[in-house]
Amino acid sequence: MAGSIAMTTAPTTARTRNAITEPVLVRILLTLIACGFLVLFLVVPLAAVFAQALKKGVGVYFASLVEVDALAAIRLTLLTAAIALPLNLVFGVAAAWAIAKFEFFGKSLLITLIDLPFAVSPVISGLIYVLLFGLQGLLGPWLAAHDIKVIFAVPGIVLATIFVTFPFIARELIPLMHAQSADEEQAAISLGASGWKTFLRVTLPNIKWGLLYGVILCNARAMGEFGAVSVVSGHIRGLTNTMPLHVEILYNEYNFAAAFAVASLLAMLALVTLALKSIVEWKACRQLQLLDASHGENS
Amino acid sequence: MSIEVRQISKTFGAFKALDDVSLLVPSGELVASLGPSGSSKTTLLRIIAGLEFADSGSGTVLFHEEDVAAKRAAQRRVGFVFQHYALFRHMTVFENVAFGLRVRPKRARPSREEIRERVHSLLRLVQLDWLGDRYPSQLSGGQRQRVALARALAVEPKVLLLDEPFGALDAKVRQELRQWLRRLHDEIHVTSVFVTHDQEEALELADRVVVMNHGQIVQTGTPDEVFHQPASEFVLNFLGHVNAFHGRLEGGRVYFGDVPVDAPPYQGVSGAVRIFVRPHEWIIETKANGRPSLKATVCQINAAGPCARLQLATDYGERIDVDVPHERFRQLSL
Repeated sequence: MAGSIAMTTAPTTARTRNAITEPVLVRILLTLIACGFLVLFLVVPLAAVFAQALKKGVGVYFASLVEVDALAAIRLTLLTAAIALPLNLVFGVAAAWAIAKFEFFGKSLLITLIDLPFAVSPVISGLIYVLLFGLQGLLGPWLAAHDIKVIFAVPGIVLATIFVTFPFIARELIPLMHAQSADEEQAAISLGASGWKTFLRVTLPNIKWGLLYGVILCNARAMGEFGAVSVVSGHIRGLTNTMPLHVEILYNEYNFAAAFAVASLLAMLALVTLALKSIVEWKACRQLQLLDASHGENS
Repeated sequence: MSIEVRQISKTFGAFKALDDVSLLVPSGELVASLGPSGSSKTTLLRIIAGLEFADSGSGTVLFHEEDVAAKRAAQRRVGFVFQHYALFRHMTVFENVAFGLRVRPKRARPSREEIRERVHSLLRLVQLDWLGDRYPSQLSGGQRQRVALARALAVEPKVLLLDEPFGALDAKVRQELRQWLRRLHDEIHVTSVFVTHDQEEALELADRVVVMNHGQIVQTGTPDEVFHQPASEFVLNFLGHVNAFHGRLEGGRVYFGDVPVDAPPYQGVSGAVRIFVRPHEWIIETKANGRPSLKATVCQINAAGPCARLQLATDYGERIDVDVPHERFRQLSL
């Protein structure tokens, strides 16, 4: 059935494409505008980052990467991502599962709250934690009494990062899990599978590409987050500096080569993320097409 | 293994889906649950399977006189076949069928070799042994439904429940699969309930038909019983096309218009009645033959089909549908 649909719609799309095609001049003009915009605002700055980073030679470039404070910043960034990512993975899957598969009181509120970090400025997100855990904050005196440091320390950075990045995985999974009815899970349960086995063997394989996509985006944001982390970190060199903060400090000290060298690492992270994202998107798209095909034949 | 449902009620918000429903399915029978959409026949099936639970305080479900109402679906040993197959799309046909065996706790799990043996014999049973390494998306609807059936049978269910098993298939495949399911049931004799809104399917396939409407069972009986002795106008209407008239009952005779027809069972009853006649129960003559008859004009003829379908209009403007065998139709030369 899917085959016959494809066959009948193919000529129609060809026709509509003809009908809406613009004159050659307009097409070239639009393409040039789009490409010019991309070059001006994306390619040139990206190239500038690498050019600046290598301006004083490869030696300086690598020296500024292995410098003690830079290494500390890299380590802290990796640590933060390594903590934030698994936590958001668990939260994202649990939230998406609950929202897509059950009806419960307060569901729409939960959906709205998941979007909150997207809606507020990251600086506010950071400030929330200062107001909560800072010395003048709500829990500050208690924390100080027990000698627990959150603000201007690693825990604060991790908390702020988790807050900023928690929508990514849940947002990615909710529509996907909505599209897949609970039929397969119910079939698994009627075949005697426990809830956990059903999740591992049926639910997880069906969402794996969406999940991976969410993880990649979440990771990119966790490593690159500036605003929220900046508020809670205190910018203590070698202790509470993440890579983006380190770049800022170096830049403010007119140490351009080092600043751009560290920035180039973040830029490369972005490029790798984009590449991974396209691969996963392509895979997920194929899976979705399979899903559509099977649904098309079902109904 | 018999299935018994005792006084089950189920409400969804303000909607009463099932209202005090009781049902007994004797061991080894193939029973059809027949009703229009919205009659909650699927809800009843899902409650038997444990995929849905009855209202607390209402009745219970028993398998072979053992109360299973508190058991979860996974513990009931029920084979459930879904309308849209619900095959695991990331697994091959083989893996789909093997699933129920693979997820068993280690103690109860058959060996790799046994699983392979079992799956292949099931795939042979549904005549799909050659498709074991395909994915569900590569199969036709009929093939998918047979895989779903094999998968349900793999766990050696005590009862088999099928939710509109042929609902998503086209007419020809449906017909074939229907006969195939009947043969399969005669072979394996597992107590089965299937839900359908297609009266033809229910009458052809089932040992016993349960007719449902508005969350209640309105009649239970063999296909013969429900067709020839319908318990209500609803059953009569639902099991096939019927002509309805208003008439009077008087002195053991029914009058429609001024035509009297003997009705011996109703001796001594009188008053206004409704009269129902199925299209194939009429006899058509071109001239009055002296017996009580109704005068009518032919409006429409459709001779394409197993019998010729005529639409007549009486002098009072009532429409009557009549089915005439082709042979008789040619004799009449209308």
